[in-house]
Amino acid sequence: MLRARNLAHVYEETTVFEGLSIGVEPGEVLAIIGPSGGGKTTLLELLSLSLPPTAGTVSVGGVDAWAADAASRLALRRQVGMVFQEASLFGATVARNVEYGLRIRRSWRARVRDQLSGLWGATETSPAVRDALAVVGMDDQRDQPAGALSGGEAQRVAFARALAYDASVLLLDEPASDLDPRNTAALEAAIEEAASRGIGVVIATHDMHQARRVADRVGVLLDGQITEIGPPAQVFERPTDERTRRFISGELVY
Amino acid sequence: MGAGASAGLAGCSQSESTETGSGTTQELPGVAGETLTLTTTTSTYDTGLLDEIHTDFQELYGVTVDAIAQGTGAALETARAGDSDIVMVHARGLEDEFMRNGYGVNRRDLMFNDFVILGPAADPAGIDGLGSATEALATIADAESTFVSRGDNSGTHTKELDLWAAAGTDPAGEWYQETGTGMGEALNIATQQGAYTLSDRGTYISRRAELDIAIRVQGPIEGGPAILANPYGIMAVNPGVHENANYDLAIAYIGWITSPGAQEAISSYQVDDEQLFFPEAVSADPGFQQYVPEGWSSDSDDG
Amino acid sequence: MTPPLVLELLPALIDLPFRDGYVSSIVWVSLSVSLLAVTLSTLVSIPTAILLGFREFPGRRLLKTLINTGMGFPSVVVGLLVLFVVSNQGPLGSFELIFTRQAMVMSQFVLATPPITAISLAAITGVRQEIRDAARALGGTRLDVALVVLKEARYGIATAILAGFGRAISEVGSVLIVGGNITSASGISRTRTLTTAIQLEARQGQYETALMLGAVLLVLVLTVNAIVVRYGDGGIQR
Repeated sequence: MLRARNLAHVYEETTVFEGLSIGVEPGEVLAIIGPSGGGKTTLLELLSLSLPPTAGTVSVGGVDAWAADAASRLALRRQVGMVFQEASLFGATVARNVEYGLRIRRSWRARVRDQLSGLWGATETSPAVRDALAVVGMDDQRDQPAGALSGGEAQRVAFARALAYDASVLLLDEPASDLDPRNTAALEAAIEEAASRGIGVVIATHDMHQARRVADRVGVLLDGQITEIGPPAQVFERPTDERTRRFISGELVY
Repeated sequence: MGAGASAGLAGCSQSESTETGSGTTQELPGVAGETLTLTTTTSTYDTGLLDEIHTDFQELYGVTVDAIAQGTGAALETARAGDSDIVMVHARGLEDEFMRNGYGVNRRDLMFNDFVILGPAADPAGIDGLGSATEALATIADAESTFVSRGDNSGTHTKELDLWAAAGTDPAGEWYQETGTGMGEALNIATQQGAYTLSDRGTYISRRAELDIAIRVQGPIEGGPAILANPYGIMAVNPGVHENANYDLAIAYIGWITSPGAQEAISSYQVDDEQLFFPEAVSADPGFQQYVPEGWSSDSDDG
Repeated sequence: MTPPLVLELLPALIDLPFRDGYVSSIVWVSLSVSLLAVTLSTLVSIPTAILLGFREFPGRRLLKTLINTGMGFPSVVVGLLVLFVVSNQGPLGSFELIFTRQAMVMSQFVLATPPITAISLAAITGVRQEIRDAARALGGTRLDVALVVLKEARYGIATAILAGFGRAISEVGSVLIVGGNITSASGISRTRTLTTAIQLEARQGQYETALMLGAVLLVLVLTVNAIVVRYGDGGIQR
């Protein structure tokens, strides 16, 4: 579904990755673990097609994104959703936030009509929006202003926002890293639901317990390379690479 | 060029016809619908004379007159640039220069009023009733009594400077205050300070109810010295210099305003029950000097 | 000075010493010129602010300096510059714009653009990078992201537009020079605004009348501000 091959990336004369290959399949949850500052976010940015790699390919559905023209690449980019560590909701209601991805994919005429009808009075919330909010358990707060939400609630809305427009891949950067158990559970349930709908989900996390809970496969990113990749049980209990073993057992200090 | 030649003008386009209420057609002059841009001084405009008489002209020709009040210098500068069609000021020296440079044509003497020297009732310099303006100013300078000057190169200020020059005095010192304001404001300042000042009679008449200063030296209208006369002239912008000047309409205006009817309207115009302007245009005396720079003769080197 | 002034003003306030239609005509000219100038300026200023905020291009710093300088530029000088352009002898002389409302709109456009641009720029750059990243990550094009930024910065931008309007409607120097302060003989304004009418009264020494017109201007500006603020608060649901 989303596949990176031989990815190399150089940032300010530092080689961040070299020869890195990784992919996620529809309906699969892939967790990427590794130390902070180890390049997880950069990897996600490359996968989300918002950053071009120095070398290598990133393909969506088999199409090489950076070899395509700008219009095609935009279409591919729009199949991939990304949720950042900070929710960064817009200054509007929860529903309007979640609706954003849907809105920008419509024609300009439809968008202008939306805006005008929004000015005259409350409009109906579309089913797709409500469904996405229901997945994260926030449907009853859909008319709240985003600023009134707690951090955890905002994070859940951010997930719903990426879910609403039927992306085929979702990339999550440190979801639930600062969340209380209730919000974390809601978010992880949402991740499972997304995967069950055939969406490929990639999570970058330093929380190995979370990786264990939600992931179908775990990739370990160390020294700019995927040192280990496989089901959680294998990676955590029977790592093949020595570096992986030391990282997991906490011996390596980064 | 006389009053009668207004409508049948060189280069005039076809007359326009219009139906009147009774069904008969009425010929409007070819200039109908156009706008005449006239620049003049602030003191002229502020008397309200133009707004009063322009309605007649506008109806007569079916045109609009845009009267713009700028300072004397600015009014002439605007005409020089060709941004106005006709200019009406009261600064003969500057008008002469304007003509000499070829910017203005068809000058006519229009009307006159006069200046007066105002001062407080206490009259510290003791000039009340003097028959000589220059002597009055010299006395004020000697006494170092406060004097308020426009200081803005307006017609009034120019006249004031001429008077100082004629009096042989160069005014300087704390007592001589240059305000750089309009005449009405200057009168307010002079009143507050109990100072002397030179004013056109028209502004004085319209403001006198609020002032504590009054006429100390009369102008020629009330028997004072001729040097305080304030004659107004009107000139059309030369179409030879600015092709798009509305010369037709400018000449129509000059013809109208120097005609007996308009001159009568000018003399009837009153502020506070007093006549402000005295018409000059209609006269048995040919008055050749009004058409050329003062002192010009065909024997001289000028133009 | 104040107590007697107030007492003198009171009877006059009830009875404006002007002919019928004079005050409403100058209010109309003031509003129509300034509103049009501010609208045109906003159409130019907002995209300029976005460009300045988010794009690197040669001359960027020069443009920023120009705009900041423009905020303090005296209106008389702007009037003179526009005069040189629209005068019969200037490049646009053939359009005969001198002493027209169009020329006044031009000069007020020049006056309003620097504050609208500069204050919008501050509001726009105040929008966090994370918001822009989020919009982009959700599939937004550059234009989509710019629209999100504008919406997030909308209160700052409204402030900017109000500031531009304030500068335009209260200035006297430029509209006096390029407009000529003209009324028809019957007293209906052609290029006379509230501000130039005030200046005329002051020049004639009619200070009380000038103050009354000033009060009208004040009420006008307050009303416009109130409308914008009310609309802004009503829109908070979005």
